Amino acid sequence: MRWREIVEPAILLLVLALLWEKAVVIFGIKQYLLPPLSQVLDALWQNRAMILEQTWVTTVEILIGYFWAVVGGILLGLAIFAWPPVRRTLYPLIVLFQGLPKVALAPLFVVWFGYGLASKVLMAFLFAFFPVVVGTLGGLAGTPAHLIEHFRAIRASPMTTFLRLRIPAALPSIMDGCKTAMPLAVIGAVVGEFVGAENGLGHLILAANANARTDLMFAALIAISALAGVLYLLVELAANRIWWRAL
Amino acid sequence: MVAGAISVHQVSKTFGDAHPLRALDGVAFEIPQGQFVSVLGPSGCGKSTLLRIIAGLIAPDAGGRVEVMGHAQRAPSDDVGVLFQTHNMLPWLTVEQNIRLAAEVRRLPQAEVRARVDQMLPVLRLDGFRTLYPHQLSGGMRQRAALGQILVLLPQVLLLDEPFGALDALTRDQLNVELLRLWQELRKTVLLITHSIAEAVFLSDRVLVMSDRPGRILEDVTIALPRPRDPQATKEHADFARYVVHLQKRMGVT
Repeated sequence: MRWREIVEPAILLLVLALLWEKAVVIFGIKQYLLPPLSQVLDALWQNRAMILEQTWVTTVEILIGYFWAVVGGILLGLAIFAWPPVRRTLYPLIVLFQGLPKVALAPLFVVWFGYGLASKVLMAFLFAFFPVVVGTLGGLAGTPAHLIEHFRAIRASPMTTFLRLRIPAALPSIMDGCKTAMPLAVIGAVVGEFVGAENGLGHLILAANANARTDLMFAALIAISALAGVLYLLVELAANRIWWRAL
Repeated sequence: MVAGAISVHQVSKTFGDAHPLRALDGVAFEIPQGQFVSVLGPSGCGKSTLLRIIAGLIAPDAGGRVEVMGHAQRAPSDDVGVLFQTHNMLPWLTVEQNIRLAAEVRRLPQAEVRARVDQMLPVLRLDGFRTLYPHQLSGGMRQRAALGQILVLLPQVLLLDEPFGALDALTRDQLNVELLRLWQELRKTVLLITHSIAEAVFLSDRVLVMSDRPGRILEDVTIALPRPRDPQATKEHADFARYVVHLQKRMGVT
């Protein structure tokens, strides 16, 4: 069971890689449009130090933005759930804001916060925090009614009920929100880099594109998906500690 | 005469304002300490509402009054333990942690909590299972542990709302025998809600028959079968069938 989960996707990946490699040659696709995979991998290897450095820049942006998305999202979810005035006033605004294309805000953030870390962190945060809010709200609202009644029957204070019942009961749903948020944080940071940056994988993609280095561009794309995969795996591992989700 | 454990005076309950729904209509009865009483009635007759009112979880309409162990019951109290059909176990806590929960919530001293849990586990026959999680237990064990969750506060009165209703017939019979044993050992007052006539007759000193909505007490039947009761001998007793038939008629089954 376990080895199939690794081997089967690996086979698919290999087949797709082969198709890419051969298709470029067979159809005579120009290299600045789509270089063969071997050339992309070569570019990846040749520039490994630089790519690793840019990956690290992006990683820091993602992690800081994601951290605040999780903390802020949970706190916002708690406030919206526990405090009806916030639910009436702030929550509709947040929902409305979600309909806004956040990409459009990126240039503004660059103007406000500059080309450095802050504007990317903010983009990662903005892309990622909403699913955490929704997950927190859904989890808190979904506490089984009979357990709430049980806590009333044993005369638990509202605080005790919150800490010992509502929070643990909400954790699986909160973790779902955190899982959804991780890839969004990656997108947010890269979008931030696209709009204005001196470093990072998003910036590398733009620079490679401008120099017609399509191979380097794909190398950066591989780095981004590898980074996103690793980060998602870490969240997934943390989520597995909340084992009662499946019950 | 023993002092009353539960006194219910003219309890009515109406839900909703625009389209009022009368769930209970002038329910009144007394249960002396140590008695095992069942409330028998069709589904939707307000049995669970009655139980929630006695537990202090919801208030009766104005004019109604409930006393438990001599005190007006306006809010939940430690005198009363309530167990519903859906068990109260928290899936992220072990059997032992679940049983400790109520005592910890009530801020009992650690040593006291430990003593009570250690005493409780063998009585409930859960001694070997204290580190298991609810999903690892059988349905019957889960309900026994759920009983432990309320017994840990040493309530004088147990209110049981079809606690074994979701279990298969065999497990249910076994748990009823266990319940009788526990009741005899712990000398609690029990009010059991059920829609099984045979179960009510087998377990109870008295059976209160409730009408269809709005719920009223139609009859208060004393079950004078000898105790201790035995699953075989009691059900073979000539009076057992007589009680069952009488209650069936009363509930309009035959």
